[in-house]
Amino acid sequence: MTTENPIVTHLPTEMGGLDAGPLQRTEHELQPWEKRCHALADVLDFRKIINTEEKRRGIEALGSEMVARLSYYERWIVGFANILFAKGILTPTELAERMDDVAARNTCIDDKA
Amino acid sequence: MNQNPHDHTPAPDCQASAGYYELMEIAVRELLVEKQLIGPGEIRRQIEVLDSRTPALGAKVVARAWTDSAFRARLLANGRKACEEMGISFYDDTQLIVLENTDRVHNLIVCTLCSCYPRPVLGLPPDWYKLKPYRARAVREPRRLLAEFGTVIPDDVEVRVSDSTAMVRYLVLPERPSGTDGMSEEELAALVTRDAMIGVVKASVPEKTMEDK
Repeated sequence: MTTENPIVTHLPTEMGGLDAGPLQRTEHELQPWEKRCHALADVLDFRKIINTEEKRRGIEALGSEMVARLSYYERWIVGFANILFAKGILTPTELAERMDDVAARNTCIDDKA
Repeated sequence: MNQNPHDHTPAPDCQASAGYYELMEIAVRELLVEKQLIGPGEIRRQIEVLDSRTPALGAKVVARAWTDSAFRARLLANGRKACEEMGISFYDDTQLIVLENTDRVHNLIVCTLCSCYPRPVLGLPPDWYKLKPYRARAVREPRRLLAEFGTVIPDDVEVRVSDSTAMVRYLVLPERPSGTDGMSEEELAALVTRDAMIGVVKASVPEKTMEDK
C-alpha cells in the first residue's frame, strides 16, 4: 500500500485526520498586540476588506514552513500584510517604512542600543 | 527588535520589546486608519466587544435550555436567533448550530482547518483548540482524544464530531446532570463550563446533591 505524503495531499492548515501527538492542553492570556490583531481581523471582515475565507487562504499561502514556525497571531498579521499587498491596498515599501517609523519613534526602543 | 521569531516570552507594556510582528500590527493598523479604510477607534471598540464575550454567556443559554423546553426547541431550530432573543448579539455573519447531547449521542466540535469557534457566545478559543493534536485527532480518534480530557464515552453512545466553517459555528448543549432538580437557572449555569460547550467534558455535577426540602 502506498503511503500518502501529507505535504502533497494536505495544505499546511488542513490537518484533520493526520497523525498527531498527545493533546497539548495549553492556554495563555493574549498579549495586548495579539488581541489588537484579533480585533483587526474582525474589523477587516466588517469592512469587507478581508473576509474569514480570504484570511484562511492567506495563512495557507504562507507555506508549511512559516505556518510551522510562526505563532498563531504572527501568521495572521503576516497573512494580512500579504493580502493587503495583493489587493493593492498597501505596498511592501510603505509597510516596511512605517514599521521602521514605529520602531524609531518609540523612545523605549532606543534602550536596546 | 526581537530577532527570534520563536521567542514568545510575554512582552512587557513598554514597546522596547515590541517584536517584528507587533511592529507590523501597529504599522498595518496605522496605515489603514490613515487611508480611512478603518476608523480610528474601531479596533479599540472591537476589543471591548471581544472582552465582553466569555463562556458565561453560553452557560446562560444552556441553563435556559435546561429549564425551558420551548426555548430549547427554538435554540435547536436556530441557535443564533435563540441567543439573540437572550440579548446576545452576533457581531459577525456566522450562523450557530446547537448540538444536543443525550444519553445516546455525545457531540464534539472542532475546526480542522483553522480556529473557527462560536466566539459571540464563548469568547476566544483556548490554545489547545487551535493546535494540531486537537484539530488532527478530533475527526479521527475522538474517543481517545476525549479520554485525554478525562472523558470516557461508553461504546454504545455515538460520538458525533462537527467541523466548523467560516460561516457555520457549533455549540454543544451538554446533558443536564442528575441531582440538579430544583436548581435555579443561575445555579445551573455555574455547572456549565467552556469545555462542556466544546464537548470535551460533561457538565459539572453539583458539589453537594440538592436535598429535598
